[in-house]
Amino acid sequence: MAVPISQMWTVATYVLKKRLTGDKRYPLVLMLEPLFRCNLACAGCGKVQYPPHILKKQLSPEECFAAVEECGAPMVSIPGGEPLLHPQIVEIVNGLVARKKYIYLCTNALELKRRLPEFTPSKYLTFSVHLDGDREHHDFSICREGGYDIAVEGIKEAVKRGFRVTTNATFFDGTDPNTVRGFFDEVMDMGVEGIVLSPGYSYDKAPDQNRFMGRARVRRLFRAILSNRKPTWKFNMSPLFLEFLMGDRKYECTPWGSPAFNIFGWQRPCYLLQDGYTETYKELIETTKWEEYGVASGNPKCANCMVSCGYEPTAVIEGFGSLKGFWGMVKGNFSMYKDAHALKLLNDSAPHGPAKLVQIAEPAHASMAETNQ
Amino acid sequence: MTAEVMKYTLQQVEDLELAPGFEHEKLEGWIPTVASDDELRQALEKAFDYRGDVTLTLKSGERIEAFIFNRIGGATLADSYVQYFTPSASEKRKVSYAEIARLEFTGKDRAEGKHWEDWVKKYNEKKAAGEKNIALVPEALD
Repeated sequence: MAVPISQMWTVATYVLKKRLTGDKRYPLVLMLEPLFRCNLACAGCGKVQYPPHILKKQLSPEECFAAVEECGAPMVSIPGGEPLLHPQIVEIVNGLVARKKYIYLCTNALELKRRLPEFTPSKYLTFSVHLDGDREHHDFSICREGGYDIAVEGIKEAVKRGFRVTTNATFFDGTDPNTVRGFFDEVMDMGVEGIVLSPGYSYDKAPDQNRFMGRARVRRLFRAILSNRKPTWKFNMSPLFLEFLMGDRKYECTPWGSPAFNIFGWQRPCYLLQDGYTETYKELIETTKWEEYGVASGNPKCANCMVSCGYEPTAVIEGFGSLKGFWGMVKGNFSMYKDAHALKLLNDSAPHGPAKLVQIAEPAHASMAETNQ
Repeated sequence: MTAEVMKYTLQQVEDLELAPGFEHEKLEGWIPTVASDDELRQALEKAFDYRGDVTLTLKSGERIEAFIFNRIGGATLADSYVQYFTPSASEKRKVSYAEIARLEFTGKDRAEGKHWEDWVKKYNEKKAAGEKNIALVPEALD
């Protein structure tokens, strides 16, 4: 179990209060994007492709605090862009800690080691370091040789200084599950609190649209990766969400569970799709046509999405919102998910040694129509 | 509910092996015809998706260089708006569709050439040339 009890208690009581008050749509994690500027230029990233005058803009600490208070989520994820490039990021983090929000500061860690002395360790602050695999895979994924070594140096320094640290990885088509499992060992050896992971998703603003898995393929990959776990692996995620990735649970998206706020306003409907913006959180919740999103809607923009910002809130709400869900979560925290079939998948996946985490060959294209024949 | 929604059944989506991507159009330099209401609405929808600045010419003759980040559709052009940032002002602005006479995709498309295949090609070329510390670097902001 990687998530501290105090954080679980905060989230559990928050979910129960919302259920008691009859709230149908409430946020669990605010995705606060204080800027889009980044010090990497990862191919395919859809978050940073803006003209310079947009990349120079950033939210003020006051705007960040107002957004946090307006939506009331108990957790705040700070992605970007690269948050450590924001000149007032320390002030923003300190303000959120003072408000007792559990913060995940998502960073590529290129600046982490240098900036660490400015931050104070707290149970409310976690550095969530983007690490997509071992040295070769990560460097290729972020399009920068040497990036892995800098990030690992930052991780080790942060752990040494007593900060909470997790890693977060996105896996695309062509991922070799054996390599990923070896990577988990490597990461846990660094002393991190836990691992965060997600399948890639071809949201329409991403320039790269060619190397994304459909849902059937995602489930097969994550069943191979996450079954037959080692006791040393810890995941800073809901066990029910991981079971969803493995194909053991069917969930619908909860897009309002992780609302996104940035220089444009409140983004609808979710962190990855950009179908417009509202000025207030209330307007976002009340005027978004939620029935037009999620897999059950049939909306092709949502077709291959299984990412954590939409589906982990569903898992968390189930986990803390019902006895059955809570029991499933408890069991999940202690299970190694023994599975002979998954072991076979694992053995079949790498007959010729480890493969690349990312597929660099021209991928096969398949249209939705083709899959229906 | 839009026509696009409900295109696929849940089972079709669940069985998906590879996901079809979104088709990005090459819009840089394009000057759409916006003579009819429909043409204007469709062109502004593309401007909303575009990852670069556009130039709006208003019926008053004013020209605005803008990054359009939002559109709010109403029943008529007069109550439909685009929201935008300009390079020189810090605050968000908006203008009614009814005031727009011309639209040009004048700014560089910032998503162009950012595909995974572009990186792989560049990497292989640099590697073959014996380069070390190969990287893509963010474009300069000034």
